[in-house]
Amino acid sequence: MDELELLKKDWKKGEDSFPKLSYNEIYKMILKKSSSIVKWIFIISILEFVFWVAISFALKYSGYSDDIPNVESNTAFIILSVISYGVLAYFFYRFYINYRTINTTDSATTLMENILKTRRTVKQYVGFNLIVIVVSVGVLLPYFMNQDPQTQTIIENATANGELLKFYAGIIIVTLLMLAVAIGVLLLFYWLIYGILLKRLNKNYRELKKLEV
Amino acid sequence: MTKELEHSFVELLEKHQNIIHKVCRLYTYNYDAHNDLFQEITIQLWKAYPKFRGDAKFSTWMYRVGLNTAITLYRKSKRRISTQDFDDVQFKISAEEYDDTEEQQLKLLYNAVKQLNDIEKALVFLYLEDKNYREISETMGISEVNARVKMNRVKTKLRTILNP
Repeated sequence: MDELELLKKDWKKGEDSFPKLSYNEIYKMILKKSSSIVKWIFIISILEFVFWVAISFALKYSGYSDDIPNVESNTAFIILSVISYGVLAYFFYRFYINYRTINTTDSATTLMENILKTRRTVKQYVGFNLIVIVVSVGVLLPYFMNQDPQTQTIIENATANGELLKFYAGIIIVTLLMLAVAIGVLLLFYWLIYGILLKRLNKNYRELKKLEV
Repeated sequence: MTKELEHSFVELLEKHQNIIHKVCRLYTYNYDAHNDLFQEITIQLWKAYPKFRGDAKFSTWMYRVGLNTAITLYRKSKRRISTQDFDDVQFKISAEEYDDTEEQQLKLLYNAVKQLNDIEKALVFLYLEDKNYREISETMGISEVNARVKMNRVKTKLRTILNP
Protein backbone atom coordinates (compact mmCIF):
# COMPACT_ATOMS: atom_id res chain seq x y z
CA MET A 1 0.00 0.00 0.00
CA ASP A 2 1.13 3.50 -0.81
CA GLU A 3 2.58 5.21 2.30
CA LEU A 4 0.42 8.27 1.88
CA GLU A 5 -2.72 6.18 1.48
CA LEU A 6 -2.01 4.49 4.80
CA LEU A 7 -1.43 7.88 6.35
CA LYS A 8 -4.65 9.24 4.84
CA LYS A 9 -6.65 6.45 6.46
CA ASP A 10 -5.26 7.33 9.87
CA TRP A 11 -5.41 11.07 9.26
CA LYS A 12 -9.18 10.96 9.00
CA LYS A 13 -9.47 8.91 12.20
CA GLY A 14 -7.38 11.48 14.09
CA GLU A 15 -9.98 14.23 13.68
CA ASP A 16 -11.82 13.26 16.85
CA SER A 17 -8.71 13.63 18.96
CA PHE A 18 -8.49 17.41 18.54
CA PRO A 19 -9.66 19.67 21.33
CA LYS A 20 -13.01 21.30 20.59
CA LEU A 21 -12.78 25.03 21.13
CA SER A 22 -15.98 26.71 22.25
CA TYR A 23 -17.65 29.73 20.66
CA ASN A 24 -16.34 31.96 23.45
CA GLU A 25 -12.78 30.68 23.18
CA ILE A 26 -12.74 31.43 19.45
CA TYR A 27 -14.37 34.81 20.01
CA LYS A 28 -11.62 35.76 22.48
CA MET A 29 -9.01 34.82 19.87
CA ILE A 30 -10.30 37.22 17.22
CA LEU A 31 -9.90 40.11 19.66
CA LYS A 32 -6.19 39.41 20.04
CA LYS A 33 -3.43 41.08 18.04
CA SER A 34 -1.65 39.35 15.21
CA SER A 35 2.08 38.75 15.42
CA SER A 36 2.55 37.89 11.75
CA ILE A 37 5.66 38.86 9.79
CA VAL A 38 3.55 41.21 7.64
CA LYS A 39 2.85 43.36 10.68
CA TRP A 40 6.54 43.43 11.55
CA ILE A 41 7.53 44.20 7.98
CA PHE A 42 5.12 47.14 8.00
CA ILE A 43 6.50 48.50 11.29
CA ILE A 44 10.13 48.06 10.23
CA SER A 45 9.53 49.63 6.82
CA ILE A 46 7.82 52.67 8.34
CA LEU A 47 10.74 53.00 10.77
CA GLU A 48 13.15 52.90 7.85
CA PHE A 49 11.32 55.70 6.05
CA VAL A 50 11.23 57.74 9.26
CA PHE A 51 14.93 57.06 9.85
CA TRP A 52 15.97 58.33 6.43
CA VAL A 53 13.71 61.37 6.57
CA ALA A 54 15.15 62.15 10.02
CA ILE A 55 18.69 61.78 8.65
CA SER A 56 17.97 64.18 5.79
CA PHE A 57 16.42 66.71 8.22
CA ALA A 58 19.32 66.33 10.62
CA LEU A 59 21.79 67.07 7.83
CA LYS A 60 19.75 69.95 6.50
CA TYR A 61 19.38 71.72 9.82
CA SER A 62 22.68 70.76 11.38
CA GLY A 63 25.53 73.24 11.81
CA TYR A 64 26.97 72.15 8.48
CA SER A 65 24.48 74.02 6.40
CA ASP A 66 25.39 77.28 8.19
CA ASP A 67 28.84 76.97 6.70
CA ILE A 68 27.45 77.11 3.19
CA PRO A 69 26.74 80.72 2.30
CA ASN A 70 23.10 81.40 1.30
CA VAL A 71 22.40 77.70 1.33
CA GLU A 72 18.62 78.08 1.14
CA SER A 73 18.85 80.17 -1.97
CA ASN A 74 21.31 77.85 -3.56
CA THR A 75 19.42 76.59 -6.61
CA ALA A 76 21.21 73.28 -6.67
CA PHE A 77 20.31 72.66 -3.05
CA ILE A 78 16.63 73.41 -3.65
CA ILE A 79 16.56 71.16 -6.70
CA LEU A 80 18.18 68.35 -4.69
CA SER A 81 15.64 68.78 -1.88
CA VAL A 82 12.73 68.62 -4.31
CA ILE A 83 14.19 65.53 -5.94
CA SER A 84 14.75 63.80 -2.60
CA TYR A 85 11.19 64.48 -1.40
CA GLY A 86 9.85 63.43 -4.79
CA VAL A 87 11.79 60.19 -4.55
CA LEU A 88 10.56 59.66 -0.98
CA ALA A 89 6.95 60.23 -2.08
CA TYR A 90 7.42 57.84 -5.03
CA PHE A 91 8.91 55.04 -2.93
CA PHE A 92 6.40 55.51 -0.14
CA TYR A 93 3.52 55.37 -2.63
CA ARG A 94 4.93 52.19 -4.16
CA PHE A 95 5.49 50.70 -0.72
CA TYR A 96 1.89 51.47 0.26
CA ILE A 97 0.46 50.03 -2.97
CA ASN A 98 2.56 46.88 -2.61
CA TYR A 99 1.62 46.53 1.03
CA ARG A 100 -2.07 46.80 0.17
CA THR A 101 -1.75 43.93 -2.30
CA ILE A 102 -0.60 41.51 0.43
CA ASN A 103 -3.56 39.23 0.78
CA THR A 104 -3.66 36.02 2.81
CA THR A 105 -6.29 34.59 0.51
CA ASP A 106 -3.91 34.59 -2.47
CA SER A 107 -1.97 31.49 -3.43
CA ALA A 108 1.17 30.80 -1.40
CA THR A 109 3.46 31.91 -4.25
CA THR A 110 1.59 35.16 -4.92
CA LEU A 111 1.49 36.00 -1.21
CA MET A 112 5.23 35.46 -0.87
CA GLU A 113 5.95 37.48 -4.02
CA ASN A 114 3.87 40.40 -2.77
CA ILE A 115 5.62 40.40 0.59
CA LEU A 116 9.04 40.28 -1.08
CA LYS A 117 8.01 43.05 -3.48
CA THR A 118 7.02 45.27 -0.55
CA ARG A 119 10.39 44.68 1.10
CA ARG A 120 12.20 45.29 -2.19
CA THR A 121 10.65 48.77 -2.47
CA VAL A 122 12.02 49.74 0.93
CA LYS A 123 15.38 48.19 0.11
CA GLN A 124 15.54 50.25 -3.10
CA TYR A 125 14.78 53.39 -1.12
CA VAL A 126 17.59 52.59 1.31
CA GLY A 127 19.88 51.87 -1.64
CA PHE A 128 18.96 55.21 -3.19
CA ASN A 129 19.80 56.98 0.08
CA LEU A 130 23.14 55.22 0.34
CA ILE A 131 24.04 56.33 -3.18
CA VAL A 132 22.97 59.89 -2.34
CA ILE A 133 25.15 59.83 0.78
CA VAL A 134 28.20 58.55 -1.09
CA VAL A 135 27.73 61.09 -3.91
CA SER A 136 27.05 63.92 -1.45
CA VAL A 137 30.19 63.16 0.50
CA GLY A 138 32.16 63.07 -2.76
CA VAL A 139 30.76 66.44 -3.86
CA LEU A 140 30.47 68.26 -0.54
CA LEU A 141 33.78 67.28 0.99
CA PRO A 142 35.93 69.18 -1.56
CA TYR A 143 33.43 72.05 -1.34
CA PHE A 144 33.78 72.32 2.45
CA MET A 145 37.51 72.01 2.22
CA ASN A 146 37.65 74.93 -0.20
CA GLN A 147 35.30 77.07 1.89
CA ASP A 148 36.58 76.36 5.38
CA PRO A 149 39.39 78.84 6.36
CA GLN A 150 40.77 76.41 8.97
CA THR A 151 41.11 73.63 6.41
CA GLN A 152 42.71 76.07 3.99
CA THR A 153 45.38 76.93 6.60
CA ILE A 154 46.04 73.23 7.18
CA ILE A 155 46.34 72.67 3.42
CA GLU A 156 48.75 75.59 3.12
CA ASN A 157 50.88 74.22 5.99
CA ALA A 158 50.82 70.75 4.46
CA THR A 159 51.90 72.18 1.09
CA ALA A 160 54.75 74.05 2.78
CA ASN A 161 55.91 70.84 4.49
CA GLY A 162 55.55 68.83 1.29
CA GLU A 163 52.87 66.65 2.93
CA LEU A 164 49.94 67.58 0.73
CA LEU A 165 49.65 64.08 -0.72
CA LYS A 166 49.75 62.57 2.76
CA PHE A 167 47.03 65.01 3.88
CA TYR A 168 44.68 64.16 1.00
CA ALA A 169 45.37 60.44 1.39
CA GLY A 170 44.48 60.73 5.09
CA ILE A 171 41.23 62.56 4.34
CA ILE A 172 40.21 60.02 1.70
CA ILE A 173 41.03 57.03 3.93
CA VAL A 174 39.15 58.47 6.93
CA THR A 175 36.13 59.31 4.74
CA LEU A 176 36.09 55.86 3.17
CA LEU A 177 36.41 54.22 6.59
CA MET A 178 33.51 56.25 7.97
CA LEU A 179 31.37 55.39 4.96
CA ALA A 180 32.33 51.72 5.27
CA VAL A 181 31.37 51.68 8.96
CA ALA A 182 28.02 53.39 8.25
CA ILE A 183 27.22 51.00 5.39
CA GLY A 184 28.46 48.06 7.48
CA VAL A 185 26.06 48.95 10.30
CA LEU A 186 23.19 49.15 7.80
CA LEU A 187 24.11 45.82 6.23
CA LEU A 188 24.21 44.25 9.69
CA PHE A 189 20.78 45.67 10.38
CA TYR A 190 19.54 44.11 7.12
CA TRP A 191 21.18 40.82 7.82
CA LEU A 192 19.39 40.74 11.17
CA ILE A 193 16.02 41.69 9.66
CA TYR A 194 16.31 39.04 7.00
CA GLY A 195 17.73 36.52 9.41
CA ILE A 196 14.85 36.93 11.80
CA LEU A 197 11.90 37.77 9.61
CA LEU A 198 12.37 36.55 6.10
CA LYS A 199 14.63 33.51 6.31
CA ARG A 200 11.73 31.08 6.37
CA LEU A 201 9.80 32.96 3.70
CA ASN A 202 12.81 33.11 1.38
CA LYS A 203 13.52 29.42 1.88
CA ASN A 204 9.92 28.46 1.13
CA TYR A 205 9.76 30.81 -1.84
CA ARG A 206 12.89 29.25 -3.33
CA GLU A 207 11.40 25.82 -2.75
CA LEU A 208 8.22 26.77 -4.61
CA LYS A 209 10.15 28.42 -7.43
CA LYS A 210 12.41 25.39 -7.74
CA LEU A 211 9.39 23.47 -8.97
CA GLU A 212 8.84 25.89 -11.79
CA VAL A 213 12.24 25.19 -13.39
CA MET B 1 -22.97 45.02 11.51
CA THR B 2 -19.62 44.15 13.10
CA LYS B 3 -21.38 42.06 15.75
CA GLU B 4 -23.25 40.16 13.03
CA LEU B 5 -20.03 39.59 11.15
CA GLU B 6 -18.27 38.41 14.31
CA HIS B 7 -21.10 36.06 15.13
CA SER B 8 -21.27 34.47 11.68
CA PHE B 9 -17.48 34.13 11.56
CA VAL B 10 -17.10 32.53 14.99
CA GLU B 11 -19.96 30.14 14.27
CA LEU B 12 -18.41 29.04 10.96
CA LEU B 13 -15.00 28.68 12.52
CA GLU B 14 -16.33 26.67 15.43
CA LYS B 15 -17.86 24.27 12.93
CA HIS B 16 -14.74 23.97 10.77
CA GLN B 17 -12.05 24.30 13.44
CA ASN B 18 -10.60 20.87 12.71
CA ILE B 19 -9.02 22.23 9.53
CA ILE B 20 -6.91 24.63 11.62
CA HIS B 21 -6.08 21.91 14.13
CA LYS B 22 -4.83 19.72 11.30
CA VAL B 23 -2.58 22.48 9.91
CA CYS B 24 -1.21 23.02 13.43
CA ARG B 25 -0.66 19.29 13.84
CA LEU B 26 1.65 19.24 10.81
CA TYR B 27 3.57 22.42 11.52
CA THR B 28 4.00 22.41 15.29
CA TYR B 29 5.56 20.03 17.73
CA ASN B 30 4.03 20.84 21.10
CA TYR B 31 0.82 22.06 22.70
CA ASP B 32 1.87 25.67 23.20
CA ALA B 33 3.04 26.06 19.62
CA HIS B 34 -0.15 24.36 18.41
CA ASN B 35 -2.29 26.86 20.33
CA ASP B 36 -0.14 29.76 19.21
CA LEU B 37 -0.43 28.89 15.52
CA PHE B 38 -4.14 28.15 15.95
CA GLN B 39 -4.62 31.65 17.31
CA GLU B 40 -2.61 33.32 14.53
CA ILE B 41 -4.55 31.45 11.82
CA THR B 42 -7.83 32.46 13.50
CA ILE B 43 -6.73 36.13 13.56
CA GLN B 44 -5.68 36.00 9.89
CA LEU B 45 -8.98 34.37 8.93
CA TRP B 46 -10.89 37.02 10.84
CA LYS B 47 -8.90 39.82 9.19
CA ALA B 48 -9.62 38.37 5.75
CA TYR B 49 -13.25 37.51 6.52
CA PRO B 50 -14.81 40.78 5.30
CA LYS B 51 -13.40 39.92 1.87
CA PHE B 52 -14.91 36.43 1.98
CA ARG B 53 -17.78 36.57 -0.44
CA GLY B 54 -19.10 33.12 -0.06
CA ASP B 55 -18.47 32.26 -3.70
CA ALA B 56 -15.79 29.90 -2.40
CA LYS B 57 -16.57 27.34 0.26
CA PHE B 58 -15.61 28.57 3.72
CA SER B 59 -13.57 25.41 4.29
CA THR B 60 -11.67 25.80 0.97
CA TRP B 61 -10.89 29.37 1.93
CA MET B 62 -9.69 28.19 5.36
CA TYR B 63 -7.19 25.79 3.80
CA ARG B 64 -5.60 28.63 1.89
CA VAL B 65 -5.39 31.15 4.73
CA GLY B 66 -4.37 28.40 7.19
CA LEU B 67 -1.49 27.17 5.05
CA ASN B 68 -0.40 30.69 4.11
CA THR B 69 -0.23 31.58 7.78
CA ALA B 70 1.71 28.42 8.66
CA ILE B 71 4.29 28.63 5.86
CA THR B 72 4.59 32.39 5.32
CA LEU B 73 3.17 34.68 7.96
CA TYR B 74 3.68 32.85 11.21
CA ARG B 75 6.58 33.81 13.41
CA LYS B 76 7.39 31.03 15.80
CA SER B 77 6.47 32.17 19.28
CA LYS B 78 9.18 32.63 21.85
CA ARG B 79 7.03 31.42 24.69
CA ARG B 80 7.49 27.69 24.83
CA ILE B 81 6.71 26.45 28.28
CA SER B 82 5.80 22.91 27.53
CA THR B 83 8.26 20.89 25.52
CA GLN B 84 6.21 17.74 25.43
CA ASP B 85 6.10 16.41 21.93
CA PHE B 86 2.84 15.27 20.38
CA ASP B 87 4.48 12.30 18.79
CA ASP B 88 5.95 11.13 22.07
CA VAL B 89 2.50 11.13 23.59
CA GLN B 90 1.00 9.35 20.62
CA PHE B 91 3.80 6.84 20.56
CA LYS B 92 3.50 6.03 24.27
CA ILE B 93 -0.21 5.39 23.91
CA SER B 94 0.21 3.30 20.82
CA ALA B 95 3.08 1.29 22.24
CA GLU B 96 1.11 0.46 25.35
CA GLU B 97 -2.20 -0.28 23.72
CA TYR B 98 -1.21 -1.90 20.48
CA ASP B 99 1.47 -4.10 19.25
CA ASP B 100 0.52 -3.69 15.67
CA THR B 101 2.90 -3.40 12.77
CA GLU B 102 0.56 -0.95 11.04
CA GLU B 103 0.61 1.24 14.13
CA GLN B 104 4.39 1.18 14.14
CA GLN B 105 4.48 2.00 10.47
CA LEU B 106 2.14 4.93 11.04
CA LYS B 107 4.32 6.26 13.82
CA LEU B 108 7.31 6.13 11.51
CA LEU B 109 5.28 7.76 8.75
CA TYR B 110 4.22 10.69 10.94
CA ASN B 111 7.83 11.14 11.99
CA ALA B 112 8.92 11.06 8.35
CA VAL B 113 6.33 13.73 7.42
CA LYS B 114 7.64 15.94 10.22
CA GLN B 115 11.04 15.81 8.56
CA LEU B 116 9.71 17.26 5.29
CA ASN B 117 10.14 20.96 4.58
CA ASP B 118 7.26 23.47 4.87
CA ILE B 119 6.22 23.24 1.22
CA GLU B 120 6.35 19.45 1.11
CA LYS B 121 4.25 19.33 4.27
CA ALA B 122 1.69 21.63 2.62
CA LEU B 123 1.46 19.29 -0.37
CA VAL B 124 1.08 16.25 1.87
CA PHE B 125 -1.56 18.08 3.91
CA LEU B 126 -3.65 18.92 0.85
CA TYR B 127 -3.25 15.37 -0.43
CA LEU B 128 -4.39 13.93 2.91
CA GLU B 129 -7.37 16.27 2.77
CA ASP B 130 -8.41 14.72 -0.57
CA LYS B 131 -7.68 17.84 -2.60
CA ASN B 132 -7.17 17.22 -6.29
CA TYR B 133 -4.13 18.48 -8.18
CA ARG B 134 -6.02 21.46 -9.56
CA GLU B 135 -6.87 22.62 -6.04
CA ILE B 136 -3.34 21.90 -4.83
CA SER B 137 -1.86 23.93 -7.69
CA GLU B 138 -4.25 26.83 -7.05
CA THR B 139 -3.54 26.89 -3.31
CA MET B 140 0.22 26.76 -3.74
CA GLY B 141 0.40 28.95 -6.84
CA ILE B 142 2.29 26.40 -8.92
CA SER B 143 1.31 24.62 -12.12
CA GLU B 144 -0.65 21.39 -11.95
CA VAL B 145 2.17 19.50 -13.64
CA ASN B 146 4.63 20.71 -11.05
CA ALA B 147 2.26 19.84 -8.23
CA ARG B 148 2.21 16.25 -9.55
CA VAL B 149 5.98 16.14 -10.02
CA LYS B 150 6.56 17.48 -6.54
CA MET B 151 4.09 15.09 -4.97
CA ASN B 152 5.90 12.17 -6.56
CA ARG B 153 9.17 13.53 -5.20
CA VAL B 154 7.63 13.81 -1.75
CA LYS B 155 6.53 10.18 -1.93
CA THR B 156 10.04 9.14 -2.94
CA LYS B 157 11.51 11.27 -0.15
CA LEU B 158 9.20 9.68 2.40
CA ARG B 159 10.23 6.22 1.20
CA THR B 160 13.89 7.20 1.53
CA ILE B 161 13.36 8.50 5.06
CA LEU B 162 11.50 5.31 5.99
CA ASN B 163 14.03 2.96 4.35
CA PRO B 164 17.39 4.70 4.50
